[in-house]
Amino acid sequence: MGKILMKGNEALAEGALIAGCQGFFGYPITPSSEIAEYMARKFPQLGGIFLQAESELAAINMVYGAAATGARVMTASSGPGISLKQEGISFIAEAELPCLIVNISRGGPGLGGIQPAQSDYFQATRGGGHGDYRLIVLAPSSVQEMMDYAIEGFDLADRYRIPVMLMAEGTLGQMMEPIYVREPVKPAIEKPWATTGCAGRSPNIINTLHLSPEVLEHRNQHLQRKYDQLQANESRAETFMTDDADLILVAFGLMSRVVKKAVIEARKQGIKVGLIRPITLWPFPDAIIKEAAEKAQMFLSVEISMGQMIEDIRLAVDGAVPVDFYGRIGIIPNPEEIYSEIIRIAEREGF
Amino acid sequence: MGQITVFAGGFGSGKSELALNYAMSKQAAEHKTVLADLDLVNPYFASREAKDMLESQGIRVVAPRADLSFGDVPSIPGEIIGMLQQDNEMIVDLAGDEVGSLVLGYLKAFMQRKTIFYLVVNPYRPFSQNIESLREVKELMEAAAQREFTAIISNPNLVKETTLDTIRKGHSKVMTFSESLGIPVAYLTVEERFYHDLLNEYGDQLRALRLYLAPNWL
Repeated sequence: MGKILMKGNEALAEGALIAGCQGFFGYPITPSSEIAEYMARKFPQLGGIFLQAESELAAINMVYGAAATGARVMTASSGPGISLKQEGISFIAEAELPCLIVNISRGGPGLGGIQPAQSDYFQATRGGGHGDYRLIVLAPSSVQEMMDYAIEGFDLADRYRIPVMLMAEGTLGQMMEPIYVREPVKPAIEKPWATTGCAGRSPNIINTLHLSPEVLEHRNQHLQRKYDQLQANESRAETFMTDDADLILVAFGLMSRVVKKAVIEARKQGIKVGLIRPITLWPFPDAIIKEAAEKAQMFLSVEISMGQMIEDIRLAVDGAVPVDFYGRIGIIPNPEEIYSEIIRIAEREGF
Repeated sequence: MGQITVFAGGFGSGKSELALNYAMSKQAAEHKTVLADLDLVNPYFASREAKDMLESQGIRVVAPRADLSFGDVPSIPGEIIGMLQQDNEMIVDLAGDEVGSLVLGYLKAFMQRKTIFYLVVNPYRPFSQNIESLREVKELMEAAAQREFTAIISNPNLVKETTLDTIRKGHSKVMTFSESLGIPVAYLTVEERFYHDLLNEYGDQLRALRLYLAPNWL
């Protein structure tokens, strides 16, 4: 089959269906609502469940319940709605239930606006809810990746028994690009822990309350070992012209494509500049950045926020080189302004 | 008396670009041209973004007030009711699907003059892939707008990846939809770069589009 023209939100929703998603529970919010609309249109034909809940709290707890049965289920929202879901996300993380949580992000804080932003980075990577937990956070940069990462997200969630968050700027949810629709996937991972009725076996219990301190600590150590394993095996980044770069720009999501354009322009002027694009925001690609910091003289974090990922870059370079920042909010910086920033730094630093 | 021309269709079928191009082509006509952006559903990539360009060409733009344009609540510009009843060339850009066409049903009482209601179809969009889903969207839109479609505008494209082959195959699919729905195809719209290669094949039906809303930062 040839390509079709899809919006990011539609591609993500279709990707979830391709991955065998059987239920969507959500509450609409711009700029994520097309995901709910797409599911509402498709699920009645496919025999899945679409439910517009009375609130975000209800929606995330429906995800909790449905994921406990072993079904592939999801929710989607934007920053303010994800904030409301934090309690449920913490519960799902401790219960080790695989599911997909989508944030098509907009600018905050508060109600903020509906224009694109990346300022939910802290919320996504630091776990906005309570307790020692992590999510895998995937950041697609194209409409094709919206579909592909939704499929992969469900797979990672099942493999590690962990909620996976897919986070994209509002613009990526709204824009259209031609993509290949992938072949349907048959989920292959057994879920012996699922609450599917206990005929012929002892009951499976999914619970997050541990009043014994020993059990609580044991649970936390268990989760921590899983997070260590994820950090060792699943962090991912794309690198572009970093080998000989004096200055390395770091950007994720759609922003990274804009930055790439500026990097190509600056290279044409003979400035040695490269790009690292974190694909997993958690686990953050520390090793790749640390290694690049051995040769590069400086990093520049470009974000559609007031500076959040920059903290992870600074932790990764561990003082080896300075890390500068360029960011806007509600407005995607264009390639020209990033190029100008590169030139300004190159002149100042003598690159 | 000028007419009212409405562009409706599925989300992302190309309504806003078509409305902009149509407005630009009307500017030299004798009637005053007004472009009403009634995309009340979603302000990303709406025709109001091209307001300055249109106004510099003498085209009046009616859209939600600037401070409300990202308001995330449906707001109908008040002056629209007066303008629908005045003598002008009125071009209306709706939001997608039946939710987008609902506003037309609301405004029906004020639309007493000749009105053309176009169904814009890009056969490469997910819900225009087959006649069943297109028919469903079409019927929901007609019910919401309380009006039947006058004609189809065939807009087959894969944006930057469009080729002559994309257009030819897509357009012939739209022709079969047209036959099945009993609605004629008024135009085949293509980007300017394809116009001369296709003129002999499609003749009068062919219209060239200049893209005004595509982001320039990718």
